[in-house]
Amino acid sequence: MFAIEKLILWIPALPLLAALITALLGPKFLRSTCHIPAIIGIGASFLFSLLLLTEVRREQDAAPPGGFERIVTVWNWANLNDAYEHAEAAQPPRAVPLRIDVVMRIDALTSMMLCMVTSVATLVAVFAAGYMHGDRGYWRFFSYVSLFVFSMTMLVSVSNFALLFVFWEAVGVCSYLLIGFWYEKPEAAAAGKKAFLVNRVGDFGFALALFLIWTTYGTLDFHDSQSVDSIASNATAVAADDSLIAASVANPGTSGVLGKARIASGGYVGGAVGFVICALLLLGACGKSAQFPLHVWLPDAMEGPTPVSALIHAATMVTAGVYMVARCTPLFMASPDAQVLVSCVGGLTALLAGLIALTQWDLKRVLAYSTVSQLGFMFLGLGTGSLAGITAAMFHLFTHAFFKAVLFLGAGSVMHAMGNVIDMRRFGGLRRIMPITYGTFLIGSLALAGVPPLAGFWSKDAVLGAVHDKLHLYEQQIELRHAQGGGAADATTDPARAGIGGLETLTDGQLVCGIQAYGWLYYAATLTAFLTAFYTLRALLLTFHGTERVPHEAHGHAHESPASMTFPLMVLAAAACIAGLFFDQTYNASLPSGQRHSFAAFLASAPQLAAGAVGKTPALDSFHLSVAATSVLVSLAGIGLAMYLYLGDTREVRVLTSLFNLDGVVQSLDVRRVFRWRWVAALDRMARRAGLGLVATVTGYLLGAVLIVVSAPLLVAMYVSPYRLSQRKFYFDELYDWGIVRPLRGFSRLLASADRWLIDSLVNFVGAVPPAIGAVCRRMQTGLVPFYALAMLLAMLLLLASQL
Amino acid sequence: MDNSQILLATVLLPLFGAILMGPCARAGDQVARGVALLVTCVTLYFASMVIHRFPADGGTGQAFAVFDYAWFVGADVAMAPAPRIQFNIGLDGLSVWLFGLSALLMVSAVLISWTAIRDRVGLFYGMLLLLESGCLGVFVARDILLFYVFFEFTLIPLFFLVGIWGSEDRRYAAMKFFLFTLAGSVLTFLGILALVLWDQHHSGTGQMRFMIDELTTGLRAHPLPPGLQSLVFLALFAGFAIKVPLFPLHTWLPLAHVQAPTAGSVILAGVLLKIGTYGFVRFSIPMLPDASRTFSPWMLWLAAIGIIYGALVALVQSDIKRLIAYSSVSHLGFCMLGLFAFNRPGVQGGTLQMINHGLSTGGLFAIVGLIYERYHTREIRDLSGLARRLPRLACCMLLFTFSSIGLPGLNGFAGEFLILLGIFQRAYSESAFAYQGQMLAIAVLSVSGVVLGAWYMLWLVQRLFFGPLREPAQHEPTQHDAAAGVRDLSPREFLALAPLLVFVIWIGLQPGFFLNRMGPTLSRLTDAARAPSPVVRFQNDPTMVRFASGQVSTRE
Repeated sequence: MFAIEKLILWIPALPLLAALITALLGPKFLRSTCHIPAIIGIGASFLFSLLLLTEVRREQDAAPPGGFERIVTVWNWANLNDAYEHAEAAQPPRAVPLRIDVVMRIDALTSMMLCMVTSVATLVAVFAAGYMHGDRGYWRFFSYVSLFVFSMTMLVSVSNFALLFVFWEAVGVCSYLLIGFWYEKPEAAAAGKKAFLVNRVGDFGFALALFLIWTTYGTLDFHDSQSVDSIASNATAVAADDSLIAASVANPGTSGVLGKARIASGGYVGGAVGFVICALLLLGACGKSAQFPLHVWLPDAMEGPTPVSALIHAATMVTAGVYMVARCTPLFMASPDAQVLVSCVGGLTALLAGLIALTQWDLKRVLAYSTVSQLGFMFLGLGTGSLAGITAAMFHLFTHAFFKAVLFLGAGSVMHAMGNVIDMRRFGGLRRIMPITYGTFLIGSLALAGVPPLAGFWSKDAVLGAVHDKLHLYEQQIELRHAQGGGAADATTDPARAGIGGLETLTDGQLVCGIQAYGWLYYAATLTAFLTAFYTLRALLLTFHGTERVPHEAHGHAHESPASMTFPLMVLAAAACIAGLFFDQTYNASLPSGQRHSFAAFLASAPQLAAGAVGKTPALDSFHLSVAATSVLVSLAGIGLAMYLYLGDTREVRVLTSLFNLDGVVQSLDVRRVFRWRWVAALDRMARRAGLGLVATVTGYLLGAVLIVVSAPLLVAMYVSPYRLSQRKFYFDELYDWGIVRPLRGFSRLLASADRWLIDSLVNFVGAVPPAIGAVCRRMQTGLVPFYALAMLLAMLLLLASQL
Repeated sequence: MDNSQILLATVLLPLFGAILMGPCARAGDQVARGVALLVTCVTLYFASMVIHRFPADGGTGQAFAVFDYAWFVGADVAMAPAPRIQFNIGLDGLSVWLFGLSALLMVSAVLISWTAIRDRVGLFYGMLLLLESGCLGVFVARDILLFYVFFEFTLIPLFFLVGIWGSEDRRYAAMKFFLFTLAGSVLTFLGILALVLWDQHHSGTGQMRFMIDELTTGLRAHPLPPGLQSLVFLALFAGFAIKVPLFPLHTWLPLAHVQAPTAGSVILAGVLLKIGTYGFVRFSIPMLPDASRTFSPWMLWLAAIGIIYGALVALVQSDIKRLIAYSSVSHLGFCMLGLFAFNRPGVQGGTLQMINHGLSTGGLFAIVGLIYERYHTREIRDLSGLARRLPRLACCMLLFTFSSIGLPGLNGFAGEFLILLGIFQRAYSESAFAYQGQMLAIAVLSVSGVVLGAWYMLWLVQRLFFGPLREPAQHEPTQHDAAAGVRDLSPREFLALAPLLVFVIWIGLQPGFFLNRMGPTLSRLTDAARAPSPVVRFQNDPTMVRFASGQVSTRE
């Protein structure tokens, strides 16, 4: 019907066009209509994405077994002949050109991401038309947003690591510009810079991974640059022969890193190199997706306009890391240790961010930490390394985009009405003033909390189920090995098998370690689900329930937002309700392809997920009732606790706060109180009467000293009590500030003064040598003939003496 | 006109322009400015004509548009053929873009100085045009002595530009710059003489050859013994490394930049520093390949230290110009890193980075000049929130900043990416096993320089352009109202920056266009220094595995 090769070009091109039009005509001609090109451009690109999606679905059924992909080359970016003499095992080195094309790909993963990005972007653009109305940077805003949509759509559709990196950074710049959109606010400017720099640290890892991939695989392309079929047939022919590494590896430069041929033949490097590549890629993903330890930038990024927070820092850009890891699945399959690492990072981040979100007062920051936490869930799913886990993570990405966008836009609507106040202590009970915002926010909150049958429930449950399955798989495997009795020896002694993703190839140590990790992660994730339900409802109840309070910044006319803002809210809320229906977990490869229409089956037609190691991992074959029941119970418990605490009297909250702040402990260990006890005073008086004043005083001091030593750890606890840790975000900002930024600045100062006083003085010293010699020589030019005669005589004597 | 004549005209036109400045100055300042602009524009037109005709794939890597004139031919004395020094110019892949960059930046320099220079205008533009002639000449010279003449010739106009039109401390800065560079280049001259004499003794004919191509071929056929080669390498190093400047020989640079007038800074950063890196690729690497290889770990260490050191020192500067000057130290470190990686990505990236640095740093210095012209301060703490007052200037600044920190889509990325790829490739798979550890350390260190680069530049932008608006109170009686006197970019100023921006974006989107033209020449120049055979990795690496369908062994 439509040539999908054309569609894939139009999808990014339209937002780019909109950005250019807005930037060029905006300030002079369009003025307050700047949103029109953006909405039309992004909206059209959304329609094209939908078309692309249906076309991909139609075509994937007829695709060969390796999965469906289509490659479109746009232009050549750079081409260096004989850039590299590539050496592979059992092959003579061969010259490989470094050829980087601007090349796009079409497959299930890309088309799903494109749909998600453009749909949220369209709604956010509509929302922003109302939200940003009257801002003096109106044209700038829509120009940046369109540019962002261009970069993001390119990011998910390029087919080359170098270009992925290009757009990886490009979305970072758009984020930088939009966070610092109100650049006159010093916090906004600082937050933009912080986001960029923390992302650069991640990009540092990504760049190293990229260079390592280049030196290891001899190409940066995802796809095979030869005709796919010829390689594939070649590969299968060679794969049967054990003495040769597969054909894909034998042709470095023609078979892509994530190409069908390499996936089919499994030519991936495991071991230390494979692990390092994956760990560095993960570092990059951590930067962009705000995972521990690089999560610190996202909450600060909330200084940007709220539509930006919804679009970039909740729905789209921060999921780029998840997309990248999912795309690189074959690389991760070669290194099971790296997969455990991915899961651990995800699970830890989810828990950490969930804990921090409990005590924040800023509505947007609660949502920001919630985003970090949910992204952690996605990484947890990706790290299971099974088809079930990866598709569950992508599904969570998909549903999260909708319900988090509705929450952020709802927060924006509240901010709009409250005169840009976002502190939840300053407003409350808004449900009557803003009924539509309330209703949509409620749906979003329940979806986030994981209440069935809303979207969040299905996807979160899928992730939990995948972790659960992985755990059981490992346990079964180890039982099997015990039953066979010490049969693991060959797995450990044959290092050639150590890097393979298959279950049988894992050593016993790896299995035990995996069981430990996934076991803990499962409990951490369940706990996080509880926390999520609690803090989401806390935010909802504080904002919309209780007594009606409106800050004075609202100037007395707090009102429901205009239709341009409530319409996107309603659409997104509807999506948050029904997005879960796309998920049908049954992925059964034996079914005829026409019947596999669930989300997971759709995604699994992307080559990176279709074949190779991941394609053979078990998918979820049934809905886990036990897991689902646990997660529902847990989230209901969280909701219940929040309602108990925040509906009505707030006394319980205060009690709980002081409990977690260890107030009681601190009070009971206040050493000065000892001296106020009556019997101590009496004892003291008696001792003094008996003439033992000195003894009493010394005893008192000793007692005091002992008490202080004993209570010192608890004094520390006063500052790092659970409540404070959560409130101060586990002191990560302070830690980085005092651990990295200040030492580095101090060192720089040292270098700068060394530059001036040491290096430059050395140079000046060298420069001063010739004049100094000259000065000495000048003294000798006295002009007195007797002096010269004397010197001559002495010199002659010296010469004679040396001859003797 | 045929290409060689155009090339000759391009080099000589600014020289005539400089002579013309004498009568023009008497006719009035405006005339002098106009004529200078005209001359630089025509020069740029000629230069672009030659570059346009340059073969798109770089040809065979040989020189293009050669103009030859026997300049100095001695009489044959006592059976020995006379030395033959030629005025021989031509373009090849290494010089083509540097040549174009010089012509382009000069137009910007003239436009930027339009109102900034009010004192002895004719003389100023005369010096600038002399400098242009020297810069163009140094890149097209195909005779080693002609190169040296132009090399020294660039010093003198810049010495006067800094010494007469500079800031407070200009005398000291000019003197230091001049002596520092001169001291190095005298050693370079000795090195060049050694090369020529060695070639004369071993070529068989007894002919003293000065043509760079012939000399290179001769020195490849009869290479210097290792000890002597190292010595000559060090002699050449002295001049070129000071010019680059390589850590720790960089201290003249911040001083000269701070004191120089804007146009001087633009040309100094944009063109003159490149003569150092150009010298390494043109002479040291092809003529002394063994010594280059021997010294390459040292050179790479110096480059990597320079990258980190320059970035860290830039981080704590309070003067905008000093900050950008130190950023130059960091960026030139990247160039050196690429060139001494010796492989294709490294060398091509390093050469591209020379152009990139010229564009972005030239643009940044121009913008600092514009700010100085408006506020008469270069102190970062005096200024804040200028984006409100000068939105268009801020936009240009942001673009140049992004280009400087290597943002993809702009030129800096293309260069840095290739350089880092090259050094990583060198470290990981092409260097001997003994070196691998330190090579990897160099590679990782230099990649981290990219993070630091973003740090200081974004800090600068944040402090200058974001936050609440703060401008220094102006004490000059001529400007009554400080706020009213400050205007955004005028069309003239925009025209000075726009061509640079065009190339910043063009190189970013299509570096292949630029790389293709220089590839063959660079390969010809540096392949001799490339490691003889790469170390084969994964030869017996058991981790190279596969998990094809049915390949996973099932456990018994």
